[in-house]
This record gives sequence, structure tokens and C-alpha cells, in this order.
Amino acid sequence: MARMKFLSDAERCIECNGCVTACKNENEVPWGVNRRRVVTINDGVVGAEKSISVACMHCSDAPCMAVCPVDVFYRTDDGVVLHDKDLCIGCGYCFYACPFGAPQFPQAGAFGLRGKMDKCTFCAGGPEADKSEAEFKKYGRNRLAEGKLPACAEMCATKALLGGDGDVISDIYRERVTRRNKGFEAWGWGTAYGPGQKGAAPAAPAAGGKS
Amino acid sequence: MQEKSMHTLSRLAGWLILALAFAAPAAAQDRQPAAQPAAQPAQQAAPAADPTKDLQQQRRIDQPGNNAPVWRDVRSGQPNYTSIPGREAGVLIQAQARFPGQDGMTTAGEAWRKFRNGPITFYGGWLIVLAVLAIAAFYYTKGPLKLHDKPTGRMVERFSLAERWAHWTTAISFCVLAVSGMITLFGKHVLLPVMGYTLFAWLSALAKNLHNFIAPLFIASLVVLIVIYIKDNLPEKGDMAWFGGAFAMFWSGKHVPSGRFNAGEKVYFWIGVVALCITLSVTGVIMLFPNFEQLRTTMQQANVIHAVSAVIMILFALGHIYVGTIGVEGAYGNMRDGVTDETWAREHHELWYDDVKSGKAAAKSGAAPQIQH
Repeated sequence: MARMKFLSDAERCIECNGCVTACKNENEVPWGVNRRRVVTINDGVVGAEKSISVACMHCSDAPCMAVCPVDVFYRTDDGVVLHDKDLCIGCGYCFYACPFGAPQFPQAGAFGLRGKMDKCTFCAGGPEADKSEAEFKKYGRNRLAEGKLPACAEMCATKALLGGDGDVISDIYRERVTRRNKGFEAWGWGTAYGPGQKGAAPAAPAAGGKS
Repeated sequence: MQEKSMHTLSRLAGWLILALAFAAPAAAQDRQPAAQPAAQPAQQAAPAADPTKDLQQQRRIDQPGNNAPVWRDVRSGQPNYTSIPGREAGVLIQAQARFPGQDGMTTAGEAWRKFRNGPITFYGGWLIVLAVLAIAAFYYTKGPLKLHDKPTGRMVERFSLAERWAHWTTAISFCVLAVSGMITLFGKHVLLPVMGYTLFAWLSALAKNLHNFIAPLFIASLVVLIVIYIKDNLPEKGDMAWFGGAFAMFWSGKHVPSGRFNAGEKVYFWIGVVALCITLSVTGVIMLFPNFEQLRTTMQQANVIHAVSAVIMILFALGHIYVGTIGVEGAYGNMRDGVTDETWAREHHELWYDDVKSGKAAAKSGAAPQIQH
């Protein structure tokens, strides 16, 4: 089975925010939430500027999954971390725990009361029946079920953002690195897929979210 | 063959032209950096002032293709530029942190996860279980503390109406908060396997909403409670002696004379009610209202302090509830009805009883009990 991963190539990202827009449009993301964002380091500093697109990285040992008090998270066979909005209580713990700031909450009431958590689904929907209307309303489009890859990566004009089977992605990236003759800089992989195994297959996913 | 070399030649020429076209502005830029930073638009907080940013600019000249300073920046947790609105949207990876007892620094969220799911859940959970077991064991072996003499039937006012209202509002709201908080911390391990996802999620949502909406009531009544009870909980001369005799009291029933509140009650007041409950209130408000621009780090720390204080306060409260209900004969009625029998007053709070009798303490005594059940 494929292990789905994202990879953002900082040498290629031009900060067009096309991925953000593609995601928002494809999934009809709630107001105030951007499942993906582009961050620019050294903005305006000539030659030192690098942009990176970031969303949920679908971690092998996901902290959000571990801290959720109601255990709404689950991992698909493709290694995609999804959640059940029907069970979510809006406590915000996943938002505390996530290294990438992926979980977000549409404000559901006064005083910053949190609604149901929303995050990137790797365009894989949720627990509802694949391609159902209920699934689309809560989680957005299930492109994986349609045999497609995430809209953000598909849309990326410079192919800086890659999304798909981790083996294929690392092959593509490895080739780029070889051509550039410079270091492997798979952004976020060390954090998301475990230290010391950049590009390698992640450790067996932890069962459930118990630790 | 001829055709292929021609092709290569034209491609080379194309590259040469392209390279020249790019080289001119690039060379111009290379000479500029010293002057450039000052001319930067002040969109961001002075990028030139940040040494790591200068570093990358320098690094690209010294070691072309080396982006180490950028990656260091990514892991630093410092905000960078993003056009996407949202607090901490410019932070790519949370800063590093380390909670007590952890080997090294990890991403703050991960450190928090390890501390919350580790020591807090494990030790906190077992401490509460052990405390309940210890109290039960004590109750079933030694039994409750009983009155030595017969009740006189003459009642003394022990708690005024305001005191009782303040007590019960705080007490009931505390119990709701404690139970709903424990559901959030331990429910996944204790209730979820029994109840199943749907029911447990419903219960957790209820618990979360109760926790959030009862909290302001608890805080308000806590303030009133502290103001009302502070005077009689100020330390007195005999307090240290009380501690010496406390063990003997529970074991043999022999009391140490004390004022209106004994030293044990004062410890509960100062450490439990004042220190822990105020800590709980402050950290709770930090998490309850995420609209004061507080960052994730603040909320992680608030959560840890909140959970640790909550576990200690629950242990305190278990003891307090035990001695206030089944542990001491007559204690529950005092707070329920506000009056106590003279025998109880004399045996448990002799100094206070003397004061009441001599008229020093402002309590109505000798009156027939006016109890509305």
C-alpha cells in the first residue's frame, strides 16, 4: 500500500499561494480556515528568500491523534490522518500539539468558542461514505477515492509541492537533488515521519492514538 | 551526427544568452547587499536586523546552495512572512520546549503531548484512585469520627446563610468541573472502551461545555468564598499544636482544641482554595478565551499547570468531602443547616465554642433550632 506524503521543495516554491486557493476551492473550506498556507523565510532579503507550503503532514506518530480526548483521529491504509467531525468536541488540544499548526477551528460562538476542528484531509474526505454529499460538506472532496491526488499538489505550477506515494515522491525529489548537486532538504519530513529516516519508509504506524 | 552537434551547439548558444541575461542583474545585486537592507520596505520587522537572515545572504555567496540558516530558521519557531491571516500562521514548526523530567528539547507540542499523556495522566490518575481507596480503607477499618457525649439539643449558629451559599456554589461548581475535567483527561482510557465512540463523544461534548460554562460561576463564587472565609482562616497560636494531635485525633478520637477552623481546615483553605483554585482559575481562563492573542506555548503551559493543580486539588477535595460528610459525625449538617449542636461545637472547636459562649464570637447561640427541612 502506498504511504501518502507531502513534500514542499523550497528551491521551487514561488509563493503564488495557488495551493492555498486550490485547496480552499476544491474542498469549500469553512470561513476563516486555510488548510494550507505558504510561509516565506527571509521575505524581501535578496537571494535568501525561501518559501514553503505547509499543511497537515499526516505524521506517522501524529501528536494530534495522541492528545485527542475523544480519539476522533484515525489513519487510513494510505497513511492519511483523518478525523471524525461528528465526535469532535472542539477542545483545541490537537491545535496545541501539532508542530505545523494544521488543525484549525472555525469560531462557532462568542468568546472564541471553538467549532469542529478542520484540517487538511490529503483530499481523502472523512469517515462518511466515499464521495457522499455528507462527506463533501464536512471534509471536502475525496479525490483519492476518485483516483486523483490532492488538489494543492496537482495545481502547483512549479511542482514545488508534491503529494502522493512517499516512494514516488522521494524518487522525484532525489533526482532533483542529484541534478542540483546539493543537500536533501525534504521539508517537514524529519518531524512528520520520524527523525533519522528522511525519505525512508516510516515506522509502522502506531495503532490507535493511545500514547 | 552533423545534425546532432548542430543541435547541441544551438542549445549551448541559447543557454549562453540566457545566462548572460540573468548574470547582469545578478551581478548588480551581488554588489548591492551592503546598501540593500536599509532600502528594504519596512513591511516586516526589519529583516536586516536579524543576524540569521544576514547569515543566509552571506552563506549563499560563501557556499552556494547551502540553505542551513534557512532551515535553522524553520525550526526556530520564529514567525516569518505569510499572506495567510491567523495567529502563528507564519510559524512553520513550533519552537522547541522541554517539560520537567524530559530528556531533551522537542517541538513544544510534542513535549506537551508527552508530558500530558505521560506523567499527568498516569500518576494523576493513579493518585486519585489510590486516594479514594485509602479513604475507603480508612472508613471501613476505623469508621467515622463520632461524638463522645450526647447531643444537648441546643444549637449554635456555625455558618451564616451567605457563608453556606458561598460554600455550596463553589462546592457544586467545583464538583462539576472536577468530574468533567476528569472525563477529558482520563475518559479516553477509562470510559471510551466501555461506552463506545458515539456515547463517549456525546458525554465529552457535554463535559466540555459544562466545564466552560460552569467555570465563570466557579471563579465568581471562589472570590466571594475567599473574602467571606479569610478572616477565620488566618493563622493562630494553636495551629501548630493541632497538627501534632491530628493523627491521634483520627486514630483515637482525641481532639486538640481549636478555633472556628482547625489547622487542617486552614491548610485546605490556603493551599487548596486560595493557591490551587486561583491557579486553576487563571490557567483556565487562559485556555477558555483563546482570543487574547495568547500563543500555543502559553496554552500548553497553562494546560499542564491546570492539570497538575487540578489533580492535587481533587485529592484535597476528596479528603475535605470525606471529613465533611461520612467521615465526621454531624459535620455535613453544619454546612447544610448552618447550625451545630453545642456538644459538637465543644468537642470539635473548643476555643470557638468558648468564644461563642462568652459572647466574643458573633454567633447566635442557645436558640431553638430553626431548621427548615
